[in-house]
Amino acid sequence: MQKYITQQNLNTLIDTLIASGTRVVAPRMSAGIPLYEPLDSSVEMVTDQLPRRSAKEAFFPVCEEIMSYEKEGQQIKLTDIDPARFPETVLVGVRPCDAAAIPVLDAVFSWDYKDEFFLERRRKTTVIGLACTTADDACFCTAVGLSPAETRGSDLFLTPLNGGGFACQSYSEKGEALISNNSALFSEPNNAAPLPLAAPQADKIDLKKVKSWLDGHFEDPLWDGIAVRCVGCGACAFVCPACHCFDIVDEGTEKAGKRRKSWDACGFWKFTHHASGHNPRDLQPKRYRNRIMHKFKYYDDKFGQTLCTGCGRCVRVCPVGIDIAAIVEEISKK
Amino acid sequence: MPLTSQPIDTSIYATITAAIRSEASRLFTAAEVVAIIGYAAARRVGSAQPVIITDAAAAETLIFTEACVNNLAVYLTKAKKEIPKKGKIGIIVKGCDLKALVGLMGESQLKREDLYLIGIPCAGVLASAVQPATTLTTETIASKCCECDVHLPLGCDFVPSVTLPPGPQMESRYSEEIARLEALTPAERWAYWKEQFAKCIKCYACRQICPFCFCEQCLCDRNKPQMVETTPRPAGNTAWHIVRAMHLAGRCAGCAECERVCPMDIPLNLLNRKMAKELKELYDYEAGFEINDKGPLTMFTEKDDQSFIK
Repeated sequence: MQKYITQQNLNTLIDTLIASGTRVVAPRMSAGIPLYEPLDSSVEMVTDQLPRRSAKEAFFPVCEEIMSYEKEGQQIKLTDIDPARFPETVLVGVRPCDAAAIPVLDAVFSWDYKDEFFLERRRKTTVIGLACTTADDACFCTAVGLSPAETRGSDLFLTPLNGGGFACQSYSEKGEALISNNSALFSEPNNAAPLPLAAPQADKIDLKKVKSWLDGHFEDPLWDGIAVRCVGCGACAFVCPACHCFDIVDEGTEKAGKRRKSWDACGFWKFTHHASGHNPRDLQPKRYRNRIMHKFKYYDDKFGQTLCTGCGRCVRVCPVGIDIAAIVEEISKK
Repeated sequence: MPLTSQPIDTSIYATITAAIRSEASRLFTAAEVVAIIGYAAARRVGSAQPVIITDAAAAETLIFTEACVNNLAVYLTKAKKEIPKKGKIGIIVKGCDLKALVGLMGESQLKREDLYLIGIPCAGVLASAVQPATTLTTETIASKCCECDVHLPLGCDFVPSVTLPPGPQMESRYSEEIARLEALTPAERWAYWKEQFAKCIKCYACRQICPFCFCEQCLCDRNKPQMVETTPRPAGNTAWHIVRAMHLAGRCAGCAECERVCPMDIPLNLLNRKMAKELKELYDYEAGFEINDKGPLTMFTEKDDQSFIK
């Protein structure tokens, strides 16, 4: 279904949804930085900057409680979280690189174990993607086969038009339902030209070639060369739209506490630290190798997909300037 | 923010680059060092990244530009496992980086004789390397550079002979912001930090980039027993940032790497500067100037303020 919506009507849609009790998550300024967060009003939405963290946290929060416990005498009471209580959500203004990562994550969260925390939020969320009009030289969506107009992962996709408003295309039943439930706010498509989209400079990388090199180079001097500078923080993984590792810890006292799930990162030394004291990834190059292998080989082996959408966030935040686009390009030329 | 942004003359950086290349080449040829930790250009226009070179041929990759933001001293402590251990290591240091090295020597983490220090006469670096192709101005310069008292590092083995051009007057951003926060009520100040710490995702970039965070196992990583909540939630975030600030008091010399690398823009160096200010007022002590200086928080003297004992 193809429609047109004005900026004003998009704001009305957001405010109507909020008023009806729907959680609307969109980029807004939060203590000085843009983040995808629940809006109180449409006026808070900012779409001219890439949020610092990706949209994955709408489904996979930075930290969430998965269970709580209470102990009294010999009695132990465990209380599960009921995913049915997760709110209906509309995710608005999602960058194509963030939206494209969502179906990539579906594969792992619905694989051998069905992660109800992720999947229930996913079922209850409608994703409204927004074509990207700003890129910098850290962006490389085009290198991994996506583009600023990529619609993958979006239920509804908005393209900003010359003269204002957005061309609006639905890609799923959820997207169509959003239009038909709010049909007064949408009109028939017009002939206005789209605003010029972002043009990332990165050339397409042959990911098959990258994978076939990785298949045979678990041990290679490349890893030492790249990762000797890695200081072992989790910034790259935490800002990544596709990284999805998490840790589970019990926090509280003997009497009462909560079991919490929070983001983890393969760059941390503790990530593979065994209870025995042994650490199979004892040095940083081995940890960094895992980052590349997981994104461009293991995830492909398992799910036939690449665990990177070229958003460039890790390139921007790396404290020591490690540039995954440059690394993958280098591998593709080997 | 200044009313008008003024350019900062960095023309000497080209001369410095040439000088460090030839010195690095000489050091390898004369077998004086086994490795040199420096900066090299990366893919993005104007970018620089830390590099560890081990032969004269690689000397040509070394650069110094306004994008050379890193304090390379971090590679001499905890990350050292991957760095050659036998023989002298050359390291490129700005004045602010040298303060960290001095502190690390004072804490017996490094020995002066194991290092070959290549000092950089520095006019300043960018506040952030997120957009490396940025001209250095009074607006884009790192806040630490606005209050710099070590443009010319002293006591190095080699310093390129260049004359630092006089720079423009700059406002003291940290002092001004600390004064603003000090003027708030405790409740307002708490609200400010609560909002800042709420952004923390526990990526520990601040810890990993800090030359002084060299604990083999960080208290905040412990789980048997758990000392600090590890999850990124208000309680654990606040605890972590308080632990970090307190542990750096009297040690941090203000390289501001923690603040630069925070992907959530938490103004971490404000905490460090506030601690430094307290140390100056209480003990007339400034970190990073004297090797073998024991910080006031690591020793007791009878002159110490004891008014808190009641």
